[in-house]
Amino acid sequence: MNQLATHQFTIKANDKLGSLERILRVVRHRGAHIQQMQMQSIDNHLFILNLTFTTERALSSLQSQIGKLEDVIAIE
Amino acid sequence: MLGTQWIVKTLKEKGITTVFGYPGGQIMPLYDALYDGGIEHVLCRHEQGAAMAAIGYARATGKIGVCIATSGPGATNIITGLADALIDSVPVIAITGQVPTTLIGTDAFQEVDVLGLSLACTKHSYLIDDATQLPNTLQEAFNLANSGRPGPILIDIPKDIQLAEHDYQTYLTPTTIKTPSDNAQLYPISSDEITLAKQMICQAKKPMLYIGGGVGLSNAIAEMREFMNLTQIPSVSTLKGLGVADLNNPYYLGLIGMHGAKAANLAVQECDLLIALGVRFDDRVTGKLNEFAKHAKVIHIDIDQSEINKLRQSHLGLQGDIKHVLPMLHQTVSIKDWHERIKQLKAQHPTRYDHPGEAIYAPALLKRISERRPVNSVITTDVGQHQMWTAQHMSFNHPQNFITSSGLGTMGFGLPAAIGAQMSRPEDMVICVSGDGSFMMNVQELTTIKRKKLPVKIVLIDNQRLGMVRQWQELFFNERYSETNLSDNPDFLMLAKAFDIPGQMISKKAEIEPALDNLFNSSSAYLLHVCIDELENVWPLVPPGAANENMLDKSNKE
Repeated sequence: MNQLATHQFTIKANDKLGSLERILRVVRHRGAHIQQMQMQSIDNHLFILNLTFTTERALSSLQSQIGKLEDVIAIE
Repeated sequence: MLGTQWIVKTLKEKGITTVFGYPGGQIMPLYDALYDGGIEHVLCRHEQGAAMAAIGYARATGKIGVCIATSGPGATNIITGLADALIDSVPVIAITGQVPTTLIGTDAFQEVDVLGLSLACTKHSYLIDDATQLPNTLQEAFNLANSGRPGPILIDIPKDIQLAEHDYQTYLTPTTIKTPSDNAQLYPISSDEITLAKQMICQAKKPMLYIGGGVGLSNAIAEMREFMNLTQIPSVSTLKGLGVADLNNPYYLGLIGMHGAKAANLAVQECDLLIALGVRFDDRVTGKLNEFAKHAKVIHIDIDQSEINKLRQSHLGLQGDIKHVLPMLHQTVSIKDWHERIKQLKAQHPTRYDHPGEAIYAPALLKRISERRPVNSVITTDVGQHQMWTAQHMSFNHPQNFITSSGLGTMGFGLPAAIGAQMSRPEDMVICVSGDGSFMMNVQELTTIKRKKLPVKIVLIDNQRLGMVRQWQELFFNERYSETNLSDNPDFLMLAKAFDIPGQMISKKAEIEPALDNLFNSSSAYLLHVCIDELENVWPLVPPGAANENMLDKSNKE
């Protein structure tokens, strides 16, 4: 059985009620499995989320689904 | 000023004249402000009805629809409406009451985590935990609902915030969120991309326009028709794209997909360039995805970047507003042979209305309604066989005149959507085409029709079955009719009469024309109860998992 490759996103977002949950929901719903994550709040206004995950689907699709969330400022 | 007074003030400033809702404990302060606030409130009899009425209001006009519910069960009841609005890209704002901020997270009476529930069914949502956020949050919500790809926004407002007194004007700051008028600047298309698109169109021998709901949402009907007229490129439409095309265009083939026109599906399968406009490559459209238009290059134009390459890899993806992009793509094409093939396909697969016996044939009935109704009337539907027959056999001159739950397929949608449409367009006739299964799902909204004296016309196609499921049980589940017999339906005329709605029942072809006279001549609401044979199926049909060229029709299914 082939092991799926891991991928990483670094996401910068507004630290508002529900914004972290909203990102994680999209990650799950769009078919990725989180292996590791780290979130750092910046002055309670922003956060940086580092996600390591596996997925069988196109990365670009997941990236654009996360990127269009209102609170997401940048994803790379 | 109280928070609730600021909310009402903002709604009025945003041009909201009508809202739909249902009061309850934690939203009582807002209802107090609405009492003499100068906005018409439509009391629906279930919060789901209120959410779907707001959708109907929005879809019939392009304006933002607003619905209001209390905390807990009030909020959970609007969830289906929000999910419907999300997948169909409808600008709706839902305002829910919430328990006071100090009680959030204590399992208080009628408390539920509305923000959590909203995550999967809104474009964005807010829980206001500080009254000073109220002004900017409301501004953002209105801008977001209609910007880019439209969608539903939820604002959950605890009771103490609603009652908080502030000089709210001082907390209002200029918003940075863009509005639809900013779309051309927000989504610029490079000249290289336009040149490439025009080259692809010029080189194509068999181009095809695949028109989706995004064209109407972009308010690009005129641009689309001009493009079709100038290029004469053949076209097909999704369910939400119906109403965009000029019906007199000789190369328009109609609905595509599972219950699409056979000529439309076959033509798409043969095309060598698919120009996809505001579409999602939905599975009900594509059938077996990797066989969909498999010979075609794809140009995909959509305002939502995440739709491009989501299901079908495009050769050229253009993120932009179709209204601005399409005029840049005008290109002369030489496709005489393709035109001949399109004409041939249309001639080979005509729509037939001959039907033996005295029983009413729903497609023929709907065609007659389509022919006889006032030109600008609005049709809403529920979900099931009657919905597909309506899409196949009625004609629409604008997408705002055909309001149907497309992506979510929400039974119970038609009646409240018709109420919303009628409230927004009081001068136009609104006809709800429903089925006996769907009708019962929000039948309580007949009271709303009575309360507001709305002249909504209801055509209830009754086969005493959950018809579409029954059809699939017949075709794909060895005729094992599990829980689809609805022969214990109520007496629908008596039911309507209980709400002071007159009507009549018909079951024979000969009764159709006089019954339509009564329907169209009625100045009030009217129920036309149409009994049909339970064995009638929707044809043609692409079987699940099959490619679209393998459509079944009545003649080849046996």
